[in-house]
Amino acid sequence: MDIDVIQTQIEEDLAKTTSVAALEEVRVKYLGRKGLVAELTSAISGLAVEQRGTVGKQVNALKNKLLELLTEKEKTLKPQSSVLKKNNLDLGMPGIAQELGHIHPITQIINEICSIFTRMGFSVVQGPEIETEYNNFTGLNIPLEHPSRDAFDTFYLKDYSKLLLRSHTSPVQVRVMKTQKPPLASVVPGRVYRPDAVDASHLFMFHQIEGFLVDEQVRFSDLKGILELFAQSVFGQDIKMRFRPHFFPFTEPSVEVDISCIICKGKGCSVCGKKGWLEILGAGMIHPNVFKHVGYAPNKYTGFAFGMGVERIAMLKYGINDIRLFFENDLRFLKQF
Amino acid sequence: MKVTYNWLKDFLNIKISPEVLAKELTMAGLEVVSLEEAQGDFIFEIEITSNRPDWLSVLGVAREVAAITKAKLKIADIQEPKIATQDILPARISILDQQGCSFYSLRVIRDVKVGPSPSWLKKRLELLGCRSVNNVVDITNYCLFALGHPLHAFDLDKLNLATLIVRRAKALEKITTIDNQQKLLSPEILVIADRDRPVAIAGVMGGKDTEVTFGTRNIALESAVFNPVLVRRGRQKLGLQSESAYRFERGVDLENAKNASLMAQKLICELAHGKPSGKKSLGASKPLSASVKLDVTYVNRVLGTKITTLQIKQILSRLGFIYKIQTKHILLVKSPTFRQDIKSSIDLVEEIARIYGYGEIPQTLPAVKPSRKVLDKQDVVFEIKNILSSLGLNEAITYSLVDRQLLARFEISNPSGLIEILNPLSKEQEILRPTLLPSLVRCLAYNLNQQQEYVNIFEVANIFLSNRQVTHEELSLGIALCGAKSSLVQQGLIKEEVTLLHLKGILERLFNKLGIPGYDFKNKGVGQISVVVGQQEVGTMLDLSNHVLAAFDIKNKQVILAQISLDKVFAFIDVQKKFLEISRYPAITRDISFIVQEDVSVKDLIRAIEEQGLPLLYLAKVVDYYQGKQIPAGFRGLTISCVYRAADRTLTEEELAPKHNFICALLEEKFGIKPR
Repeated sequence: MDIDVIQTQIEEDLAKTTSVAALEEVRVKYLGRKGLVAELTSAISGLAVEQRGTVGKQVNALKNKLLELLTEKEKTLKPQSSVLKKNNLDLGMPGIAQELGHIHPITQIINEICSIFTRMGFSVVQGPEIETEYNNFTGLNIPLEHPSRDAFDTFYLKDYSKLLLRSHTSPVQVRVMKTQKPPLASVVPGRVYRPDAVDASHLFMFHQIEGFLVDEQVRFSDLKGILELFAQSVFGQDIKMRFRPHFFPFTEPSVEVDISCIICKGKGCSVCGKKGWLEILGAGMIHPNVFKHVGYAPNKYTGFAFGMGVERIAMLKYGINDIRLFFENDLRFLKQF
Repeated sequence: MKVTYNWLKDFLNIKISPEVLAKELTMAGLEVVSLEEAQGDFIFEIEITSNRPDWLSVLGVAREVAAITKAKLKIADIQEPKIATQDILPARISILDQQGCSFYSLRVIRDVKVGPSPSWLKKRLELLGCRSVNNVVDITNYCLFALGHPLHAFDLDKLNLATLIVRRAKALEKITTIDNQQKLLSPEILVIADRDRPVAIAGVMGGKDTEVTFGTRNIALESAVFNPVLVRRGRQKLGLQSESAYRFERGVDLENAKNASLMAQKLICELAHGKPSGKKSLGASKPLSASVKLDVTYVNRVLGTKITTLQIKQILSRLGFIYKIQTKHILLVKSPTFRQDIKSSIDLVEEIARIYGYGEIPQTLPAVKPSRKVLDKQDVVFEIKNILSSLGLNEAITYSLVDRQLLARFEISNPSGLIEILNPLSKEQEILRPTLLPSLVRCLAYNLNQQQEYVNIFEVANIFLSNRQVTHEELSLGIALCGAKSSLVQQGLIKEEVTLLHLKGILERLFNKLGIPGYDFKNKGVGQISVVVGQQEVGTMLDLSNHVLAAFDIKNKQVILAQISLDKVFAFIDVQKKFLEISRYPAITRDISFIVQEDVSVKDLIRAIEEQGLPLLYLAKVVDYYQGKQIPAGFRGLTISCVYRAADRTLTEEELAPKHNFICALLEEKFGIKPR
């Protein structure tokens, strides 16, 4: 066979080779004891003496060329083969490394939500947990002796008149607005307290995140846009949302926001109470009376505010069915997050 | 609140199915929380928000259905009956507390036959979960549910001198309510009394003595408007709940008070064979209804919509508002009397948005004007949590409210400094905690009980302190470690009991990473170490005594704790990094191995080395320590590694030897170390 033909042929064969075993077959075909190169070599003795030298050199060159091609191909097939040491490590053994610690799921959700809003230009602010009756109620347009207060049962401090444990994060709105002028864009995470009987979905302490935006031309449509962006960031792009009219004393128009149930996708299941919708937050346009209380001109500024329970979001997101688990701090729970 | 589909149909034609209606109501702000089919009817359970007392009736919901479905309400006008002179029975009313009662009316109905209600009436009430009592009481309840105005029927013959007086209760007056509870009254409570005694708690509940029974012949039917705050106070004070109080607290409509009374009288005459025998009324005769100026452009400015003036007018009409056009954009809107909640134009904006549909309002993104980002507390707390979790610790969150007993187990009981809760629901909510540690120890104990061998947790939260009647919140870090940490290394499994040194290591890593300079640890007492930053104590480390451990049922374990005031530490935190040139010349390391008396502090040894070694000494640190057989009692073995380096040249042995030897000699002389 012709030397040039052999060289093109091996290149074609190698191109088709995809495994180490197949490569070995190619090697045997050309360089084996009965391979094509061996055939050429043995044919040399049958040539005229003056030809033997040249042909011999050509065959040698071919052999070297083939070896080179085979080695190259081998490298592509087992790239590490020559880099790693051979050892007899039992890969079933556990790897050795320091244990990682875990950040509480509530903190993780707070960080996630705050970072969604900080990316939109909001800043994170905080306020005290012991609040005045004024900031918790009156300043937020919640009259002291009115049924609208029933939704905000509150722990009062003994021996400190008019001091209480904040029942929501909204008093921080009053604090921020009293000390700063618009434009404002803030989110407020923190602990809140309500004397609720304890069960799988109620506790006397939980976390809320409040957000508010105040400027000269803030509209209800902006609230819808921001909240949709938020919900899709937390729960995924496919969720549907609905905005239901509701009542909060400190916003008007007020809205409760539902997302399509993330468990049943809206078909109805035990998590959403067969409704197909999950309530995730309350919101609305800041009531002009709140602006009056903090000394803003109500006809100059508009704004929206929203508030959500962090535990609820975490429970939905992680599929946790009992709120008490968050505060039991069982390491078998904490280490899952 | 419950209404039924068929009852709604008394008021209007409904062309949509109960399911569709439930959805429509929910999206208009009357959230239907359940829809149930029963006895050929459908029961809607609706959550009514506290701003809409006018929705607390079948009529109220029907009005909303009419607005949503553009249907027309059917309301029959009831004519005031003529009363024959010989039928009149005398009765007297008076209002002594004008502030508590703006309207009081009585209808006298004679010769009633009190008996069971007809089955249609029973069924309507039962579908709403209301028990049938007798026809007269059932009729008052029927009118309450149908129109939303609470009524009360007295047995006229049991009222002393047929007199009803609206007044405050006198101290120590008592009443037995229709549900057989004896209640002690007080002057904050508004009552209805006859000449001698209270016969009803105004707006809340009637009295047993004057209730309508099967023996009643003549009745006095009350319809009134009571002050919401007084009704609320009375109800709260006496611990009572009633459908009546629920509506009075939220506010009732004078017009409706009159209609309900008329309707009840008509039904009593029809179903209990009564005869109208007189009526009395005092107080306001005409309800006030406010007019609100509405700028159409304001509606669209707040909502971000392009609702036309025509659409706005149509929506207002459907809701029963009457408007006058003032200028092109301004409407003067008059509310129906049942809409006492409409006080300003933003209230109308909400109404327009509700009926227009929240879903129809577009979604836009606001132009947020971001403010300058400065490093603040939250950022630092976030960083602290990251550092601690990368050191293997787990974050816990425990309640800020604790029970007195938990603090007592920790031997904290100074009552003056503790902030107590006035109205805890249980003893777990008595005190705002002055320290994080008892909660963390309880959490350790819980995990040990769950067969955890090693528990390492931390929490960042406020503690609550009080100083001369001023409350103070201090953001604090608590760390709690307990048990033996086991780790698999090349040599196999090693178990290591945690000690104060482990905790010190954690705090050192934390402080270094936060750039806190010059922190120090100082012995304070047995098992107590003070953590000092900038000459100020910022926290403590504790090795908990067996005594306290026993109180938490922790046996044969050491518990190591720290609490650091982050508020005190914040001022020292400096996360700005500055690059230090890395020396290109090799270092020379000299180890000094020696034994020394136990009471010689490593801190002093290192300081002495540092003082003498500069500028060539780059670092001196303990690399080994041992106590055991080869070391005499009262001594310990230490190896301190000294690393020398010059910034500009390779150090030579010749240059270094005298210096290092001098240091060794100094340590021998000053601290009595014995080289090994």
